Parts: sequence; structure tokens; C-alpha cells
Amino acid sequence: MTGWWDDYLWAALTVAKVFVCSLVFMVVFGLSGAAAKLSSSKPAQAVANAYTVFFRGTPEILVVLLLYFGSAVTLTAVGRLFDPSIRFLDIPPFWAGTIAIALVVGAYATETFRGAFLGVSPGSIEAARALGMSGLQTFVYIRIPEMWRLALPPFGNHMLSLVKDTALISIIGLEEMLFVAKQATSTTGKPFTMYIVVGLIYLAFSTLVTGLTMALEHHANRHLRAPT
Amino acid sequence: MSTQTSPIIRLVSVGKRFGDFEALVDVDLEVRPGERIVICGPSGSGKSTLIRCINRMEKHTSGTIVVNGHELTDDLRDIDAVRREIGMVFQSFNLFPHMTVLRNLTIAQRLVRKTPKAEAEAVAMHFLERVRIPEQAAKYPAQLSGGQQQRVAIARALCMKPRIMLFDEPTSALDPEMISEVLEVMVDLAGDGMTMVCVTHEMGFARSVADRVIFMDRGRLVEQADPETFFTRPQNERTALFLRQILRH
Amino acid sequence: MKVEIALDALPRMLAGIGLTFQLLLLALGIGTALAVLLLLMRISGRWWLSLPAQAYCYVFRGTPILVQIFIIYYGLPQFEWLRESVLWVVLRDPFGCAVLALALNVGAYVTEILRGGVLSVERGLLEAGAALGMSSTHRFVYITAPLAVRIALPAYGNEIISLLKSTALASTITLADMTGIARTVVAETFAPYEVFISLALVYVSLAWLIQRSMHRVEARIGRYATRRAG
Repeated sequence: MTGWWDDYLWAALTVAKVFVCSLVFMVVFGLSGAAAKLSSSKPAQAVANAYTVFFRGTPEILVVLLLYFGSAVTLTAVGRLFDPSIRFLDIPPFWAGTIAIALVVGAYATETFRGAFLGVSPGSIEAARALGMSGLQTFVYIRIPEMWRLALPPFGNHMLSLVKDTALISIIGLEEMLFVAKQATSTTGKPFTMYIVVGLIYLAFSTLVTGLTMALEHHANRHLRAPT
Repeated sequence: MSTQTSPIIRLVSVGKRFGDFEALVDVDLEVRPGERIVICGPSGSGKSTLIRCINRMEKHTSGTIVVNGHELTDDLRDIDAVRREIGMVFQSFNLFPHMTVLRNLTIAQRLVRKTPKAEAEAVAMHFLERVRIPEQAAKYPAQLSGGQQQRVAIARALCMKPRIMLFDEPTSALDPEMISEVLEVMVDLAGDGMTMVCVTHEMGFARSVADRVIFMDRGRLVEQADPETFFTRPQNERTALFLRQILRH
Repeated sequence: MKVEIALDALPRMLAGIGLTFQLLLLALGIGTALAVLLLLMRISGRWWLSLPAQAYCYVFRGTPILVQIFIIYYGLPQFEWLRESVLWVVLRDPFGCAVLALALNVGAYVTEILRGGVLSVERGLLEAGAALGMSSTHRFVYITAPLAVRIALPAYGNEIISLLKSTALASTITLADMTGIARTVVAETFAPYEVFISLALVYVSLAWLIQRSMHRVEARIGRYATRRAG
């Protein structure tokens, strides 16, 4: 193991960066998808339905490959219009991979956000309106907090999916932990040790995310607990 | 009332704690065979806990309970022997949703009593007729009304040929128009000499059927008397207050 | 986008559908059996059984399947004694490794699904069983298990679809399943859109088929829940 710790550390940092960026995209995709599904516009609903059906049925690895190689083909073709001597252009694996896994998990998040929106009890919405709260106030003070509470448990699972899906980006050449393990194996000849370390680091990430979710849930449900 | 026969249920200074909360305090009660007892009291008074202790759905934490000659202890064989002799009807029916009415009635006969299938079904149909819904035998519980479900639940308990029937607020979860169909079945049963312990707020039922009415409050037996005395001359002021509240409706 | 490329590539990729199904069914069968065992351990009420089962689920649900596949396929041969044991028959073969990794994974997820089913069986029903004198084994077999299975079924269906998607990871350890073939075809033609999108549609259709058949099964064994149908 000696001599490889800093490589693993850097790789773990890359994974953390991918996670944070994909989380942002995932929320954006999920909210847009949910908004489209809840809207009264038929085309918007159709697009959102196609989005969720496609990305929930396609293997994550295929989405990663499609986004990376697809964007590379497109970029190379566009690049050649300007400079015919270009052989290959790609967008960095980091961004192709980040967006790919965010698209997949965003499809699941779409259903979560949609369900949470519909799960808010109509009684409290009515009560808010009866008290003279405006549509926007009702949305911000009544619907969002209740939605957040309902969406949190599945949202925690979506975050876990993102953490685990980061491993797929090694396939398109991102220098993350599986990449380090492969290199370390070729010089040390100890594959089990090298890959188990990757597993343990992922387990630590998962534990962290689970803990974070639990803390958020604890906070979101504070009004449901009996006073102590 | 004759006092010759020995009690079928005997509780001696029974207590039940849930953590710091005392659900039952020093309860003494004797029930003779064939006797019909109605227990009432405000919610949280321990009346459900009391009858749930009789078939050991709850374990009492002090005192002794003897049912049908068996003392209720941690010895599992005794508990099963006792439960075979006691039928229980729950507030929320608790029918097995994935089984037809007929199978709800035969499952325990076949598993516990080892009754052959044909005989178990004959028994089931007999009791379905007694609760007046034999035509529902092939349906699933969710396809029945609440009143019908509760009558099936009573029939299910009767199929085990119990010597004692416990009723835990059997009509509280029912719409008003369905309460009478369940009470009629219970009155019928009382007419047959079944030993019954009923937790209920149906005071009409208590008046016409009960040999004894018991009032509980805060885990204690506050008062017990025959219905006539109980309703017209309650001795305890808490009983009187409770009756005033409940009879106003 | 050239339709001809997609039409050329599809039959080649579909040649791998048999391998995809083998992975799916073997892993599902073994994994579900494992899950039942783990579930019984978890609800046994004995800490020395439930704790290992809990740890197992935690580890396998907390790490990426790809990492598990690599640990089994690349990692295990590090041990001399393993290479000399009978297990080597399975472990030296990428197919065996893929099935093993997927099955171990399914086992962990399905355990949680089944446990959710068991926990959601109403207490009152078990009390009713106890009040009728049914033993705890009888209560589990006749009340808890059939109800838990029905409750767990939709989640189980989703898990089968997840597993279908995970079989694509077998392509990372040289297996020529549909995804493995697709990667070869893309390397030859360099037409990622045509090849990958048409393959994605194949997976989407398979997922849809699985979902439809699960709905059938649910409707069939969940018929007690429909009101006034009889």
C-alpha cells in the first residue's frame, strides 16, 4: 500500500467533485422533469415522460458511453469544419460522466419530486388560501417544506446512487479510484488489496451520505416529534 | 346469582406497566362460566389492556391470572392451551386480507385443531350462517362492509369452539348503521350461555345483556355492579360523571 | 444519424441477448434465495444472526457493483489457496464472476425489500393469529410471508429491472453480452449514437416487458385487495 495513499486520496477527491457536480445537475433535471410532468402542456409532459422512460430503462454504463463518445463524435465533426487536420476532440470525461449519471438519477428524482408535490395534503393548502395567503406564499411556506419532508427519504437514496455511479466514469478514462487501483495492481501484483481499498473508500462515502440524509430527515421531521 | 361454580377467569391484584406508565393497577376480577361482563371507561383507562392480558396478548407485570385452570406464565404450552379456549374479537377486525372469508374461518381450525378440511369448512359455514352471511364465504375481506367483516371475525373466533369470548371495542370502528348488526350477533351469543367479556361503550347492549358492568379509570376497577344498579345508582362520582357524558349522546 | 448503421448493428447486438438473460436469471435466482436466508437471519431476533446479515446488506448496498465485480474478478486471484480450491471453477471464468457479483448484490437489495414487506404486515393480523392459537411458525408461513410477498412485489419488480441494467457491467470484464458487443461495434464503426441509442431502446423495451409482467403477477396474487370484485 505504501506509496499509493496520495493517489487514492486524489482519486477520492475527484469522486467527491463528481458527486457534488452531479448532485446539482440531478436536482435541476429532477425539478425540471417534475415541473414538466405537472404542467398542463401536453408537449412538455410528453418530453418529460420520454426522458424518464428512456433513462430509467437504460443501463447507466450505456448512458455514460453514449454521452462521452457521442459528444466526441459531434465535437470532432464540428471542429473539422474549422480545422480539417483535427483528429479527435472530446469533452472531458469528468463532465461527460457527471452529466450522464445526473441524467439517469435525475429521471428517478423526477418521479420523487412529482410524487412529493402531489403528496402534500390539499387540506393544508386550502387552509393556507383561506387564511389569505397568496399562491406564492402558500407554495413557499406550505408546499415546499412539506414536499421536502416527503421527498427526503427517496432523495437520500438518489444521492447514494450518484455516489456509486461515479465508479462508472472510470470506463471513459477518468482518473478516479478504480483507475488508481488498476495502476497499483500492475506494479504491486496485489489486486485484491488494491480494489478492496476502493470498496472501503466508497463505503465511507456512502456512510457519510446516509448520515447526512438522516440528519436532514431528523431536522425536517422535528415538528412530528413529541416535545421532550 | 349463584356463587357455587368456580370462576373460569380469576385475576388477583394484577398490574401492568409500560415503562413508567401504569396501565393496570391492582386489578381483582372473577368471571364465572356463562357470565357476561361489560367493561367501560374513558380512553386510556386500561380496559383494553385488561382483556388483552386475559389471553396474554399483553403480559401482565404483577399479580396472577388464572384462566380455565391455567395460570398465565411464560410457559408457552400453557399459553397456547389457554388461547385455544378463548376467542377474541378486535376493534379493527384483523381479518387476514389475503384469504377468503372461508379460509379465514378454517385456517386456525386446520392448523391449530388439526381439523380435516371438510369438517373445518362445515364448521365455518355453520358459524357463517349464525352470523347471517353464508353467501359471502368466497369473498375477500376487502369486498365486505365493516359490519360484515366484524361478523366474519366473530364467526372466525367461534369456529375454534372457545369457552370464553373477549370483545375489544367490537363496534367502535363501525359506521353507526352497521353497529346493530354486530350487536345482534353478540346478543345471540349471550343467549347461548357463552362466557363473554366485552369492552364496549354500547350502553344499550350492557343494560340488556350484561350480568355485571365494570367501570375502569386510570388502570383501576373503580366500580362494578349489576346493570340496574350501575346505571341508576352509581356509587362513585367518576362513574356518574362518565355515564352522564356517555349517555348524553 | 444513419439508420443503416443501426439496422446493421442491432442483429449483432441481439446475439448477446441470451447471455444477458442468463446473467439476469441466474443472478436473480441465486440472489433471491440468498435474500430469503438473510431475511430469516435478520428477523430471527438473535443478534449473532441478524448482525452479520445487517453488515452484509450494508456493505453490498454501500459500494458500487462495478467495484464488487472488479474485486471478485481481478482481486480474488491474488490468493493462491483460492486458485487451488474448487471455487476456482467459478472464479476463473468471467461469466461465473459476473453472476456471483450480481447475485451477491441482488441478495442485499432484495433482503431489504422483503424486510420492508415483513415490517409492513399489520400487527393486528399477527395478534389475531396468536389469539386463534397459531404458533409463531404458522403465523410466519400463513400470515406474514404471503402478505409480505404481496407488499414487496412492486419493489421486487423494480429490482429485476435494476438487475437487468447491471448485467451491462459484465461487459467490463470481457463478456460479450449486448453491451459488450455494442462497444465492439462502436470501436469498428465509430457511430456511437446509432449503436448505443438503438441498444438503449432494446433495454428500455425489456424493462417495459418486465414491468408489464410484474403488473400481471401483482394483479393475479393481489386480487383479494380489489373491492367487490367477486
